[in-house]
Amino acid sequence: MLSRSSLSRNAPRALSAGRRAMASAANPTFQYDVTEAAGVKVANREVAGATGTLALVAKAGSRYQPFPGFSDALEKFAFKTTLKRSALRITREVELLGGEISSTHSRENVVLRAKFLSNDLPYFTELLAEVASQTKFADHELNEVVSQLLKYKQEAVFSNAENVALDAAHGVAFHRGLGSPITPSPSSPYEKYISADALAQFAQDAYAKSNVALVATGPNSAEVSKWVGQFFKDLPTGTTASQYKVQPSVASKYFGGEQRIASKAGNAVVIAFPGSSAFGTAGYKAEASVLAALLGGESTIKWTPGFSLLSQATKGLNQLNVSTQNLAYSDAGLFTVTLSGQASQVGAASKSVVDALKKAAAGEVSSEDIKKATALAKFRALESVQTLDTGLVATGSGLIHGTKPYQIGEIAKAIENVSEQQVKEVAKSFLTSKATLVSVGDVFQLPYAEDLGLTV
Amino acid sequence: MSAPSITNYIVKRPWLKRWMTPLAQWYTDAAGYRRLGLKFDDLIPEESETVQKAIKRLSSKEAYDRVFRIRRAFQCSISHTLLPPNEQTKPEEDVEYLSPIIREIEKEAKERADLDNLVVRK
Repeated sequence: MLSRSSLSRNAPRALSAGRRAMASAANPTFQYDVTEAAGVKVANREVAGATGTLALVAKAGSRYQPFPGFSDALEKFAFKTTLKRSALRITREVELLGGEISSTHSRENVVLRAKFLSNDLPYFTELLAEVASQTKFADHELNEVVSQLLKYKQEAVFSNAENVALDAAHGVAFHRGLGSPITPSPSSPYEKYISADALAQFAQDAYAKSNVALVATGPNSAEVSKWVGQFFKDLPTGTTASQYKVQPSVASKYFGGEQRIASKAGNAVVIAFPGSSAFGTAGYKAEASVLAALLGGESTIKWTPGFSLLSQATKGLNQLNVSTQNLAYSDAGLFTVTLSGQASQVGAASKSVVDALKKAAAGEVSSEDIKKATALAKFRALESVQTLDTGLVATGSGLIHGTKPYQIGEIAKAIENVSEQQVKEVAKSFLTSKATLVSVGDVFQLPYAEDLGLTV
Repeated sequence: MSAPSITNYIVKRPWLKRWMTPLAQWYTDAAGYRRLGLKFDDLIPEESETVQKAIKRLSSKEAYDRVFRIRRAFQCSISHTLLPPNEQTKPEEDVEYLSPIIREIEKEAKERADLDNLVVRK
């Protein structure tokens, strides 16, 4: 529980941190005050301003769902009819207050989000608590609304070859858990698992006190914990003994392999390696994010391909998109190079990915490029924390997975300390370990791992 | 959908209810639909959006049973017969299965209309 003394201790500290930050960039303001109210973890970042945001992050993403499609359906059921008011009333009330509500899910989390004028904090806190603890899960709502929304979502996701490839890459790399599809494929028989009753049981567990964290930004931390303490008292306390429970987290294991999917939606190739997990976990490797910036593929500056190895290598190919990312999760990561566009160019460019990796492994990259990559990686990491949306989710995810919350200074230091040798070694480890290769689209033209010289 | 009714008036007064119950039971039985194996909710006119929507919201078992009862009654009507007594609807089986859903849909529609005509005073 939150005690009065801790509040009075935190408030001046947050204030002074804010002031110092104005003077020197080394001491950033983006610290969250972490407390606990009514058994729920609450983090608030004090930002002076007229608006606030509140996000409920629940550890119930596709990784933890008991059956396919549950996280999706739970996300779509957010802000639907509750025991107290109808979905229509919720919508109209939010419209009247000028707020914004949304829900999303990722591989690890289901996130309910509200943005509002600061004065309306109590209303939106109550709303999120109501959605989490008192949603009705009516049969007819599932049939008339939610299942339709799910179908549209599937169509949207699976009409993009890049999404299909990325999803399949996770499946090949991690099999179950992190590898389970983020949205069930339209051709999979997911409907037989989903019923309103089952979803209600899943929600009981997904929105249990120990399974959620609330992350807020707003002018006043004390207010946030006060209202959360009042409204989140009635959140379910947890584990029901049912088959629709949130699945326990099993340590992710990397497998790797190759998959080819014929599709008319476009062409995409994803080349993936075991990457770095999220900051604050054991598997965090800052050098992976530097290597991701070094390989790159997307320019950060207009009218120039940029310094990154892949954008230099694919300069002449104008029907091609390349991007390199390190997708970090709570206990594993996936380092992915995504190529999409015209089949022949995607095929040609996949070879330059392996060449670029070989170059990085052999240390044939100028130290100036590595410096640029380090700066870019640092910028990206810090920006993702500062940007409201990504920052909220990262903090909430850190809280429920029991890792350290994002500390901006430490991330910056970790990335600055990456040496050329470390980058070289991580590139070398990628080339020797088992890779993941997924080709989607015109598989007649797309390469096999054998052609690229990757071991799968 | 519903006709004006004095039911609530009577139910609120226990003494009146005690008087009226046998009379009501006799009247319902005399209406004859139970002898064709129907329930009272089967007689609700279907030709409205509300009832159509309510029928869609029935569970598959209830929807099937409803169609079965209506078809059986139809056959009886054509052949000018009544069902054998063991197949007729018993008073305890004659429960509301559609009306609660209809009331819910009417409530939703009313709420929507109210919200659409909302006047905000600050």
